[in-house]
Amino acid sequence: MLLEIGLALILAKLLGHLFEKIRQPIVIGEILSGIVIGPFIIGKFFDIDFLTPEIEGIAQIGIIFLLFISGLEIGTKEIKTAGKQGLIIAIFGAILSFVFGYLVGYAMGYDTNVNIAIGNIFVATSVGITVRALMELDALHSNIGQLILTSAILDDLFGMIILSMTLGKGSPPMLIIKILIFFIAFFLLYYTIKKLKGSKLYIPRLVLTLGIAFAFIFSAFAQNLGLATIIGAFFAGLLFSNLSQRRRMLNAVRPMGELFFIPLFFVSVGASFDFNALGDIGFFVIFFISMALLAKAIGCSLGAKISKVNIRDSLTIGVGMMPRMEVALVVVSTEIAREIFKKPLADQVMAGTILLVIVSSLITPLLLKRLYKPQENKTKSVNNTLTS
Amino acid sequence: MDLKELHQKKIKEVLNERHILNLPLVSKDAGINTIFSVLTGRDHIWIVDKKGSKKLVGLITESDALKLLAPSRVPKYAFGWRHGISLQYGTAKTASDIMHKQLCICSLDDTVGRVLSRMVNAGLRRLPVVEKDEIVGEIAVHYILQLTLGKV
Repeated sequence: MLLEIGLALILAKLLGHLFEKIRQPIVIGEILSGIVIGPFIIGKFFDIDFLTPEIEGIAQIGIIFLLFISGLEIGTKEIKTAGKQGLIIAIFGAILSFVFGYLVGYAMGYDTNVNIAIGNIFVATSVGITVRALMELDALHSNIGQLILTSAILDDLFGMIILSMTLGKGSPPMLIIKILIFFIAFFLLYYTIKKLKGSKLYIPRLVLTLGIAFAFIFSAFAQNLGLATIIGAFFAGLLFSNLSQRRRMLNAVRPMGELFFIPLFFVSVGASFDFNALGDIGFFVIFFISMALLAKAIGCSLGAKISKVNIRDSLTIGVGMMPRMEVALVVVSTEIAREIFKKPLADQVMAGTILLVIVSSLITPLLLKRLYKPQENKTKSVNNTLTS
Repeated sequence: MDLKELHQKKIKEVLNERHILNLPLVSKDAGINTIFSVLTGRDHIWIVDKKGSKKLVGLITESDALKLLAPSRVPKYAFGWRHGISLQYGTAKTASDIMHKQLCICSLDDTVGRVLSRMVNAGLRRLPVVEKDEIVGEIAVHYILQLTLGKV
């Protein structure tokens, strides 16, 4: 186990850096290093087994860190300021993605649980790649850039809410009660923390420890209620985003996660990539990927059109919301761990999602370059204002 | 002044008029060029709700302005939108785009010792003195040092 972890970290760093150099997401480099170290390449010739329960445990912690960081970065204040247009775009994107995912499962003749699980994978957008593409186009300050960024914040929140509503175990009425308990607990703590803000208790680094501890406690709480652990970690992040220590907490938690736990999660995702799955289900994977991309593009374009954006800009927004990355992978591995997918299907869905991540991050920048048209009267950057 | 005695003192007892009248206040809708020009004279700016108001909503420091000048990059795992804010891409337009929104504050009734430990915990050298959401002064490490040396 120790050797595998060391090798995985080095490989993930090298490939991640390589991908950063060629302007691709680091995450894809990390997944590829997982494929390299996994049972089909290095694992085949050497005595290296990456998919042990211990490493799965570390990967689980990586998931919790990832969602905790995302909750902290998104923050309740940003959610409040997202605005009506962002809200409409995010709602349409989230709902249509979920419905399209459900239909993919339905068309393939799977049962309801599986259909819902596929729907969940489709929901969460990742804007990292879009932000990079918009930066290169010098379009981040444009109306489109701002709309994409604000709706992507809400998108993650809706993803988590849909996930908590659909991924729970138990009969529907019990499930509703469980979800209610979870959110009541969340709001109670939210207001307690707001009240405690000015308290006079001083223990150095208490809040940092409490933050990390609560990420785990909330995860455990969510898990005990039959909801997924990741929901707990995400809402714990939101909870602590309210404090003045938010930035310090990010500064402490980010390196912890980014250096060790999160890369190992993505490597383990790569290692579980099954080449055999591809042969049998070429059609399913293509169907899965194209529906995932279409769902977001159509949903968000529709939302933008309804909130009075012109057609071309609406399409650009739709395309900008297509990429899936961290959260989609987290959702898949959570669902697989909960044994929602049967054995061959699990490998297929995992392979499909990994390819979805890669394909979406390859085509989104290209499409954005085609679609984005600079506006004539845009308020050109501040450099001008400074010199004028 | 004896250190122990100083730690017991309340902020309102030590606060100098200079730290009440001479606060760098700018409203949150002020443009980025205003921020930069104020920062040429001061090393921090308290951001208030609107012009004339004293309702504290944020803080901009020298290092925030420096960060704006650096080339922006998206972190390894990106969520939310704060990494998108940069002078380079014209996304930093007003004070409210770049300010710290969650602040460490103190009140007139806090003791100097408490304020100092708060500064140490948070790694800050200056805290706003806030009463009912309104900024009434500021207290800096530098000033407390002057107090200990009896140079005020």
